[in-house]
Amino acid sequence: MTEDTAYYITAEKLAQAGPDGVPSELRSSEHLIYSSPAALSFNSPGAQGFGVKRAALAVPGSIELLVAPGCCGRNTTILSRSGGYRDRFFYLLMDDTDIVTGRHLRKIPEAVKEAADSCDEKPSCVMICITCVDALLGTDMERVCRRASEYAGLPVLPSYMYALTREGREPPMTSVRKSIYSLLEKRKRKSDVVNILGEFAPLSDDSEIYEILKSAGVKKINEISRLTTFEEYLEMSEANFNIVVNPECRLAAGDLNKRLGMPYIELRKLHQPSQIRRQYELFGSAVGAEIDDADYLRRAEKTVNDFSEKYHGISAAVGETLNGDTFEIALSLLRSGCCVPEIFGTVSGENFVYIKRIAEISPETRIYTNLSPTMLFYDCSDQPVDVTIGADAAYYHPDAPNVPWNSDIQPFGYAAAEHLYRALDDALEGRNRR
Amino acid sequence: MKGMLKYLSPFAPDQSGAVSVLYDMGGITVICDAGGCTGNICGFDEPRWTDSPRPVFSAGLRDMDAILGRDDKLVEKLGAVSGKTGAPFAAIVGTPVPAVIATDFRALTHMTEKRCGLPAVAVECTGTNLYDKGASDTYMALFKKFALDDTEPDRSAVGVLGMIPLEISRKDGVRYVRSAYADSVRRRFLCYGMGSGIEDIKRAGSVSENIVVSPSGLAAAKYLKKRFGTPYIIDYPFITDELQEKFRQLAGKRVLVIHQQVAADKARKIIESAGGDCVVCGSWFMQPSEIKRDADIAFSTEQQFMDTVASGEFDVIAADPLMKRAARAAGFDGEFIEFNHFAVSGDLDDDI
Repeated sequence: MTEDTAYYITAEKLAQAGPDGVPSELRSSEHLIYSSPAALSFNSPGAQGFGVKRAALAVPGSIELLVAPGCCGRNTTILSRSGGYRDRFFYLLMDDTDIVTGRHLRKIPEAVKEAADSCDEKPSCVMICITCVDALLGTDMERVCRRASEYAGLPVLPSYMYALTREGREPPMTSVRKSIYSLLEKRKRKSDVVNILGEFAPLSDDSEIYEILKSAGVKKINEISRLTTFEEYLEMSEANFNIVVNPECRLAAGDLNKRLGMPYIELRKLHQPSQIRRQYELFGSAVGAEIDDADYLRRAEKTVNDFSEKYHGISAAVGETLNGDTFEIALSLLRSGCCVPEIFGTVSGENFVYIKRIAEISPETRIYTNLSPTMLFYDCSDQPVDVTIGADAAYYHPDAPNVPWNSDIQPFGYAAAEHLYRALDDALEGRNRR
Repeated sequence: MKGMLKYLSPFAPDQSGAVSVLYDMGGITVICDAGGCTGNICGFDEPRWTDSPRPVFSAGLRDMDAILGRDDKLVEKLGAVSGKTGAPFAAIVGTPVPAVIATDFRALTHMTEKRCGLPAVAVECTGTNLYDKGASDTYMALFKKFALDDTEPDRSAVGVLGMIPLEISRKDGVRYVRSAYADSVRRRFLCYGMGSGIEDIKRAGSVSENIVVSPSGLAAAKYLKKRFGTPYIIDYPFITDELQEKFRQLAGKRVLVIHQQVAADKARKIIESAGGDCVVCGSWFMQPSEIKRDADIAFSTEQQFMDTVASGEFDVIAADPLMKRAARAAGFDGEFIEFNHFAVSGDLDDDI
C-alpha cells in the first residue's frame, strides 16, 4: 500500500488475525480520527439520530439541563428547534473558573429549580447532562443530583456525555440507557407485561414481534418511546421480563435485574430470515412458549429470494451509520447472492462471528474504518458499487443509489429483512430509471 | 442566573472560530479533544465541511490520555499523518479537555515541529469562550508565525480579514466582496479564512490595504498595520439588497440591531442613511471601540437580553431568528426582522 491510499484489510486476513490481532489502523485509540462526514456519527452521535442529549429525554415529561462549556451544547441548537424538544433543553454554561475549580456544581440546584419553574407544567424529572470536564474533575454527580432533587422537589438524574470514556466499560450511550430506567421502582410484576428496551424510538409498527408476543400470552408491551405519561413510564416496573434489542442496553437491563429482579433476554436485529427464525426458536424456548412464525418467515424469504433473482451478483457497499450490525447486514447480502466489495465499519470482538462467515464467502471483501486518517485518500473509482447502505457509505460513493437505513423508527425481525430488501429494490429501481 | 439559558442555545465557541480560520489554509488541523468537539465544529459550525472536507482530525483523547498527559502519543499520531498529507504546516486547537489538564501548548508545538519537521501553531481554546476570540487568536498566530518581511508590494492585492462563515453567514462571501468593490482599482482579494491559504498569509505584508469585515479580524489588521504599515478599513459588504431595503424603511423607528458589531454597525448606517436617528447596536460578541457608540449594548446573559427587549425602548429588533423566541417570551411584541448570524443559529444566507 502506498502512502496515499486508504487503509483496508481483507475479510480473510482480518478473520485470520482474530479479535486479538486487529491491526492498529482499525483501532481508533492508535491514530488521529479523521473528521469526514462519514465519521460524524462517531464524533457527534447526537448530530444525527439519538445521542446522549436527545436520548436522555426519553422519560416522558422530562426536561434536561446541560451543565457544560458552551461548546458541548452547540449542536443542540438543531434539536432545540425540532418538534417536541424546543421547550425541554436548558443550559448552565461553565466559564474558565468553573472548569478549573468546579464551582458550577454549587449553582446546579438553583438552576434545576429555575428551569423547572419556567415550564408550563411541572416536569416529571430533570436530567442533568454533564461532559468531559466533569469526568476529569471527578464530579460526584449522583450526590449533586440528590441535593438538586431535595432543593427543587422533583427527581433529578445524571446523564454522562463523557466522550473520553467512549471505549470504556460504560460508554455514554450505554450509561444513558441505564439512567433513563433508573427511576423505575419495585412493583408487583404482571406475567402478561413485557418491556422492549434498547431504543429511543419504537420498533416499526409492522414488526411481527408484537403479534408473536401477543400469541405467547403477552397483553401489554411497553416501549419507552411510545409512553406519553410519567405514570405509564413507572408501570414499566410491572413487566415480567425485558427484551433487549440493542446490546448497548445490556447494562441497563442488568441493573433492572439486580434492583427489581426483572430478568431479560436479548434479541438481535438480524436480516437473514433463517437466522431470525432461529432467534425466535431460542426465544420461545427461553420463555416457554411455542412460536408460530411460519407465515412471517415465508414472506421474508420470498422478498429476499425475489431480490436475489432480480439482482444476483450486484455489488453493495455497507457502512456503519445504520440501524443494525454492519457485518451482519453484509453477511446477509452475501448470502442473498450480492457481492460486498467494501465494508466501512468499526471492528469489535463481537463482530468476528460475522467476519469469519464473510471471509468464507467473500475473502477479498475490503474492510475500512471511517476513522482512519488514510480515508482522506479514499477513491471510489477504485471499486465502484451498484448500491450503498448507510449514510457513511453514501458519502464514499455519492453516485450510487443509497439506502440510508438509519430512521429513528427501528425495523425489527422479519419485517426488517423485508423492509431492507424492498428498500434496496427501490433504490436500484430508481437508479435504473435514471 | 449567570450562564443560564432557558430560551437561547449556546453560540459558536472559540474552537469553532479557530477551525474556521484554519479551514482553507491548507494545513493539518488537529482538535485536541475526545471527538465530541470535532463533531460539533465540523458537523454544525463549519458549513463548508460537507462539500469540501479538509484534513481536520480529532486527537481522539481518552480518559487515560488526559490523566497521564500523553502529549508524546498525540505528537506520534500527528507525525504518522503529516508525512502522508504533504501539508505545509500543522495547527493544534484546544478544547475543554486540555484546558482542564493544563496542556502546555507551547511545548506541544515544539514537539510537533521536531517530530514532523513542519512549522506548527497552537490556538489555546477552552470551549468556554466565543468563536470570535478563537478566530482572532488564530489570525494572530498565523500572521505572527508565517507572514514574511521581505515581500514585494502588490498594489492590486487587498486583504480581507474576519471573513469566515461564522461571521458573514455565507459560504459565497467572495463574490459579495468582488461585487462591493468592483469599481475600485482593487482586483485581487485575499480572503484569509475563505479561499486564501497559507501562501497568502506569508505575503500579507505585500497587500495595499486590508478590509475588516468582523471584529475577529481587527486585532490582526492592527498588527499588520503596525508591522507592515498596511492601512485598513472596516466594512461589511454582505447585506443583501432586499435586507438593505428593509432596513431603509425603518427610518423613524426605534431599532435594536443585534449581530457581530461590524455587521450591526453597517445595518445602523444603512438605516441612518435613510434618515433614521434612533438605532442601537447590541452584540454578544466583541465590540471594538472604533465602531461602538455609547448607547450600544454588550449582552452577556439571557436575562439581560430579555430585560433589554422588554424595556419598551425599541419598536423593531433585527437579529438572528434564534433570539425571536426569547424576545417574545420577554414580552416584546414589536417587529422582528430576521438578520441571520451563523454563529448564533447555524443558519446560512447563501443564495447560490
